[in-house]
Amino acid sequence: MDAKSTQCDDARIARFLRGELTAEEERLFEQHLDTCPTCSARLDRSTAAAPRWQEAAELLRDEPIDLEPLSAVFSDSGSGEVARQVVDDGVRRILELLHPTDDPRMLGRIGGYEVAGVIGSGGNGVVLKGHDPSLNRYVAIKVLAPHLASSGAARARFAREAVAAAAVMHENVIAIHGVEEHAGLPFLVMPYVRGTSLQKRIDQNGPLGLLEILRIGMQVAAGLAAAHAQGLVHRDIKPANILLADGVERVTITDFGLARAVDDASMTRSGLIAGTPQFMSPEQARGEAIDPRSDLFSLGSVLYAMATGHPPFRAESSYGVLRRICESAPRAIRESNPAIPDWLGRLVDRLLEKEPGKRFQSSAEVADLLARCVAHVQQPDAQPLPDELQERPATNPPRRRWLVAAVVLAAVALLALATTLPQGDSRKENEPGAATPSAQSTTDEHAARWDDGVDKILEEATETTRRLMEP
Amino acid sequence: MHEFPNTRNSLLLKLRDRNDCESWREFVALYRPVVYRMARRRGMQDADAQDLAQAVLISVADSVERWEADPHRARFRTWLTRVARNATIDAFRRRRPDAAAGGTTEVTRLEQHPEPDDEEIHREHRRECFRRAARCVRWEFAEETWLAFWQTTVEGRDIKEVAGQLGKSPGAVYIARSRVMQRLQKKIVEMEE
Repeated sequence: MDAKSTQCDDARIARFLRGELTAEEERLFEQHLDTCPTCSARLDRSTAAAPRWQEAAELLRDEPIDLEPLSAVFSDSGSGEVARQVVDDGVRRILELLHPTDDPRMLGRIGGYEVAGVIGSGGNGVVLKGHDPSLNRYVAIKVLAPHLASSGAARARFAREAVAAAAVMHENVIAIHGVEEHAGLPFLVMPYVRGTSLQKRIDQNGPLGLLEILRIGMQVAAGLAAAHAQGLVHRDIKPANILLADGVERVTITDFGLARAVDDASMTRSGLIAGTPQFMSPEQARGEAIDPRSDLFSLGSVLYAMATGHPPFRAESSYGVLRRICESAPRAIRESNPAIPDWLGRLVDRLLEKEPGKRFQSSAEVADLLARCVAHVQQPDAQPLPDELQERPATNPPRRRWLVAAVVLAAVALLALATTLPQGDSRKENEPGAATPSAQSTTDEHAARWDDGVDKILEEATETTRRLMEP
Repeated sequence: MHEFPNTRNSLLLKLRDRNDCESWREFVALYRPVVYRMARRRGMQDADAQDLAQAVLISVADSVERWEADPHRARFRTWLTRVARNATIDAFRRRRPDAAAGGTTEVTRLEQHPEPDDEEIHREHRRECFRRAARCVRWEFAEETWLAFWQTTVEGRDIKEVAGQLGKSPGAVYIARSRVMQRLQKKIVEMEE
């Protein structure tokens, strides 16, 4: 071992904090810290004063008031087994809470409904297949997971969100028949949709066809528009929450607003994440304020998944996924599926902009755009591709070199213009009204002297500059 | 249903400056939990606490609509914090009479400390800053780095024990938590600017 690693050195601590140590120096520093309590304490002190450390500890420690101890429930990759066990446990606990039934074919009774089976389960609840004897129809019953229902806050929120969601009347948003409570567990009653989720469809069949992608996307956007008009953000748009009804081309968005019921509770208490973050928006991943445009990002991820068969941001762990969502651009769709036209890639890219302000601004706009895309694909001759999706030079990397050339040429042109301007200016002194037209005609003269190709590049440069100047 | 002050059009129109819009959104996200927690601590139910937080934000939003950008006056964010403080104290003060009807110990507490003082507001605000900063920077670190910080600093566990559990040396734990703490402080300064 190097003698240096065993020496105390305040300068080294300072250099570490400025990020100046090489990997090797850092290794030695680390070794030194292992055995030197003095330097360890100094490092702590130099990083932050003692009261700051104490403040961090106090303020980050959760208060029982608004957070449930979820750290044991949801977990990052590596301990997925634990999470599954908790979910199974949730199903079991819910089934145990059902009232006995006289019908031997049924599992039990909840409220006025006979439970015929378990449709599915997830982090925030269990979905049961129920039968409503009074109306003789099947219903889907979503029961809030027991670990969430133990908090009055989560229960109240579940109920409130359900009421808000129930107010959204739209054919692409699942209807809510009612919100009730059974043995302290709130549950939602919804129509039973015979069909499959988009997630299952993708898992089984891989990427979807273009027309199908557009039709499903259009309906999801339309459903979102209806909800957004009421101020309701879904917060958890993903293929598993999009139902495809059997036989008919009808898409239903489920789980409206329910994500919020678990949102606060699942804060990164000790760095653990609830659920699958693959379709989250960057602002959600960072825990920032979200608005309807967050759902649009998720819709972009869903379109991407339909086109390629997998979500746009993938990584080994939830942590890695969130990081990619915040930092990386996804691989171009066409690299995975060459059958997808460029314009759909452009549409998805706009939705997947990290900055909400750069996305399409409303789901109604997206629904309308997708509807025009459907028309275009069905009748390419009668219905042109929507203007918004026409290829634009600046968004097309291979033409970047042209852009540089164009800007250089534009600069040359300006220079040339500048050399002729004094004449214009002198004329301006004599004849104020003629100034602008003369400068104009000077430009035109120059342009006319160049060959057509340059003309075109100049035009493109002007257009690009204009776009770059736009806020 | 609640009106959402964070998306109110008149407000966003007023805040034509993009930075101000962003400041407002961030402010709403930051301040709502601040008021909510103080209300809950006074024994209010979840729904009441949410309503109170909403009332404070709406009142601040109304003030913002009257706000004039003026280079000589405080920056928008500083100004917001001041307006919010007053709105918060007002909202708690107004709630006092009807909240006193319950008769529980929480209500006694509420009567003793009907409205939060500057210190409490500041502290809760700071708490929220810390929590948001933690959520933000958490993704910049590898899992063990974050856990090394969290378990030794926030949970106050022994360095050697945590090191053993994470399969790291104690020196590595010191280094990891120093990194996280440094980043966290920087983030908070950015947020408070």
